[in-house]
Amino acid sequence: MPYKKLRIEVRNRVGYLLLDSGARFNKLSITTIRELKRAIAQHEDDGEVGCILLSGWPGESFAVGADIGQMRSFTPLEGLRFGTLGQSLFTQMEHCPKPIVGALNGITMGGGCDLALACDIRIASDKLLIAHPGARLGIITGFCGTQKLPRLVGKNRAREIFLSCDSYDADEALRMGLVDRVVGGDRYWCEVVALAERIAAMPACALAWAKRLVNMSEDTKLQSGCLAEQGAAAQFPFCGPPAAS
Amino acid sequence: MPERACRIEMEGTVVRLRLPGGDQIFRRAFMELLRKQLDGLAEKDAVRGVLVCGQGGQFCRVAPDAPKTPPEAAGLSAFGQEVLFALESLGKPVVAALSGEVTGLGLELALACSFVLADRSARFGFPEISQGCLPAFGGTQRLARLVGRSVAKQLLFSGELISADEALRVRLVNRIYDHDTLEQAALDLVQRICSRSPLALRVGAEVVDAGYDIDLKTACLLERDAFALCFASHDQKEGMDSFLEKREPQFTGT
Repeated sequence: MPYKKLRIEVRNRVGYLLLDSGARFNKLSITTIRELKRAIAQHEDDGEVGCILLSGWPGESFAVGADIGQMRSFTPLEGLRFGTLGQSLFTQMEHCPKPIVGALNGITMGGGCDLALACDIRIASDKLLIAHPGARLGIITGFCGTQKLPRLVGKNRAREIFLSCDSYDADEALRMGLVDRVVGGDRYWCEVVALAERIAAMPACALAWAKRLVNMSEDTKLQSGCLAEQGAAAQFPFCGPPAAS
Repeated sequence: MPERACRIEMEGTVVRLRLPGGDQIFRRAFMELLRKQLDGLAEKDAVRGVLVCGQGGQFCRVAPDAPKTPPEAAGLSAFGQEVLFALESLGKPVVAALSGEVTGLGLELALACSFVLADRSARFGFPEISQGCLPAFGGTQRLARLVGRSVAKQLLFSGELISADEALRVRLVNRIYDHDTLEQAALDLVQRICSRSPLALRVGAEVVDAGYDIDLKTACLLERDAFALCFASHDQKEGMDSFLEKREPQFTGT
């Protein structure tokens, strides 16, 4: 089945997942979320993919939240169903054994911000504008943002972002720890691709363990995490050399 | 005198909570004054947000006190914690805009606010270690959670004050302003926050607090349910209608 809201391709072991709704903003509609789930599963199953790159490049936006017109008339139960669908995408991204690099090429708002938080690494272009304006719309996010953002940038900065609904540029996002790196101008896409290709060339088994171990450190006691690390170490003799490209 | 230690000024929908404290007032009396003000603010729907500040570079100054017995000391700690929990869960945004020395009780209080803005000359710390004391109104716990354990230990062990720049770097402070612009900039920011949905602000703050100390999966479930409940509110319809109609929203908090 073809994709309507995104383009996917595989090149040099990188599985591209490019949001392209055909409009100025890539809205996280129900259709887009379902397509993302299908596309991630496809890249996950593809032995030629070592790393997934998620972006709205070369468009103006990375992603914004749900379609407000659609969400306007949600009942609480429809809200519950929508929240569940979005969270299931982010759980799938977390459980995916392949690293997911988020390339925040531009406007990233609301649910789009939550999509960015579900990526393993975030690289922003200098055109980034990021905000979480739910309180301007009379809602909070239902896509894990209220939980992941405080854990990433600290409670107080997260509160400022939620309360103010203000947009933050790339430098501010970097200062807050919301993104890991900012690359300006023409070099942006080259550097993003270079990082994704570098990661994609590493042994898949080691990447999967690295992602799983770091993710589990969030809610695990240090002793238990260290025990899991020992279990992982026992697998290393079978992880093999870097994948041939 | 007590009125000067802790008083409120209305600025439209924002209340400015001035907490200079004073040389004559003890911690318990000061916290009792604060609790009375908070009880009043929590009930007033017309108050949408609170701006916490000092006066003339003085913030939460209190007279030195030394509880005489262990039960008395523990009782004071429990009371102080209760008041700062009430501040933290007021249900309205509470932004601190601070200058001068923010130490001891002042820093404990700042840590219970939604976030902190500071003047370039502000300094922060817990110097009471030299007297054989530690912050006990939730300060050790909120500090470690906000800035991480290493920075928290550095501040608590050394008793040294850090500059506003350093406080910004370690995430104790969100933004720094020049002395002349701090209060106005802070008021503008709080007023902007108060134009948002009071219901969404309240639920958002509650979900952030409730989810922070539990496992991520359960926390996200909590958030999802709170998100769904928003769709039973007036504010959600008004917020989205006004967005689609490109006009300012008229939120009621219902």
